[in-house]
Amino acid sequence: MIQKLSAPVSVTAVFDHKTRAFVPKKVLWEGREHTIIKVGLHHTFRQGQTLYHVFSVASDAMFFRLVLDTESLLFRLEEIADGEPS
Amino acid sequence: MHLDLNSCFATIEQQANPLWRNKPLAVAAYTSPNGCIIAPSVEAKKWGVKVGMRVKDGKLICPGLIVTGPDPSKYRMVHQKLRKLLEEYTYKLTPKSIDEFVLDIEGLPTQKLGIGETAKEIKTRIKTEIGEWLTVSVGIAPNRFLAKVAAGLKKPDGLEIIDKNNFEAVYEKLALTDLWGVKLGNVSRLNRCGIYTVADFYRADAKLLQTAFHSVCGYYWYLRLRGFEADEEEWGRKSYGNSYALPKLLATPAELAPILSKLVEKMSFRMRRAGYRARGVHVGVLYRDWSHWHHGEVAPEPVWDSRDIYRQALGILTRSPYRKPVHTLSVSGFGLIKNLYSQLSLLTDGNKKEKWMEAVDSINEKWGNFVLTPARMLGMADYVPDRVAFGGIKELEEMILN
Repeated sequence: MIQKLSAPVSVTAVFDHKTRAFVPKKVLWEGREHTIIKVGLHHTFRQGQTLYHVFSVASDAMFFRLVLDTESLLFRLEEIADGEPS
Repeated sequence: MHLDLNSCFATIEQQANPLWRNKPLAVAAYTSPNGCIIAPSVEAKKWGVKVGMRVKDGKLICPGLIVTGPDPSKYRMVHQKLRKLLEEYTYKLTPKSIDEFVLDIEGLPTQKLGIGETAKEIKTRIKTEIGEWLTVSVGIAPNRFLAKVAAGLKKPDGLEIIDKNNFEAVYEKLALTDLWGVKLGNVSRLNRCGIYTVADFYRADAKLLQTAFHSVCGYYWYLRLRGFEADEEEWGRKSYGNSYALPKLLATPAELAPILSKLVEKMSFRMRRAGYRARGVHVGVLYRDWSHWHHGEVAPEPVWDSRDIYRQALGILTRSPYRKPVHTLSVSGFGLIKNLYSQLSLLTDGNKKEKWMEAVDSINEKWGNFVLTPARMLGMADYVPDRVAFGGIKELEEMILN
């Protein structure tokens, strides 16, 4: 199952100044907290002059595509997947 | 050294989504049943899923196939990270496509480590610094062509060398169509001259090969198979173009006009941003019955304004003798000239046009592509989406330069 959406989420993240890594640790979505066990990829893209950071992360059972709008500093959840075919 | 990221798009998606690792996955241009698969994962290839297959056919032979759409910004980011890593080893680096690079480390400090050890170090660094799921096949040889052949000998995660000690043994194992640049057309040319295997191809003299290919290309093949470099020439950009495979049946110029308009907007924006004008406009149409029509025209004066390019492109399209469903529509500006000066015209206010286009381009750059569009493009938001072009990576050069 792969589902595209655009939902506001709360993200708990850690920034380590030594490694300069910004790592999401938890996602709170629809009242449920998911612990992130793996950050697969972090990349960026631009729409006009707005820079977006995309964190592709996974809990033990679910994949989340988290997008940070650097203008508004808001996180949105844009895709979820369970690792199985549709 | 030729370096090739294995099953590029699919491997990057598996890197991003750990739940997809070790599973058959395909990246398709569209995820609908008739969508075209553009990148099957290593696992999917074992089931027989191939590039160019329809999604429905892929799912038929691989019932557990996961299908996802492309995400070009991810692939471009990985390409740029890979490029930055490889630039630490040599300045003589040529990206050949989104997932292929050619490196020459001859005469550089890196060579002291040994090219084989350098390749192993690069493979390890890709896993630790870019993504642990990413694998590359590396080929090492005296020239670019044989390095690419070597890279193809073992996939995924290969490291193969072709040199003076083993090249004949390698040639014995390959078919002519295993050589990049040799497909059925060239195979029949070679067969007509009594060349049926790669070993025959190598043993043929230069004169026979020039006869086979009816051109100096035969001599270049003679050089390539002997380890001489025949492919170092870098050709500059000759045109800017965009094309689109249509998702529904459209046949007449009136139906195709909005899509043509969007293609022109995309193409001309890229061309202007790079500082070029075009001497002419070319339109190509591939129909659903696989017939093809194309025509190019030199413009009365060099064009850069989207409106002028669209007018000319629509005129060309209207003159197509066919009115049948279109598979792919493409438009390009050719005969590029740099914007060093503008030739003033007595008939039009060129300065005003330039200022107008500069203003539109700067608004679209600031707020996002197609914030300002011609009215004829209304309703085209979901058409001509962002894609990574097959083959060259000139689009990446545009991104890096900008």
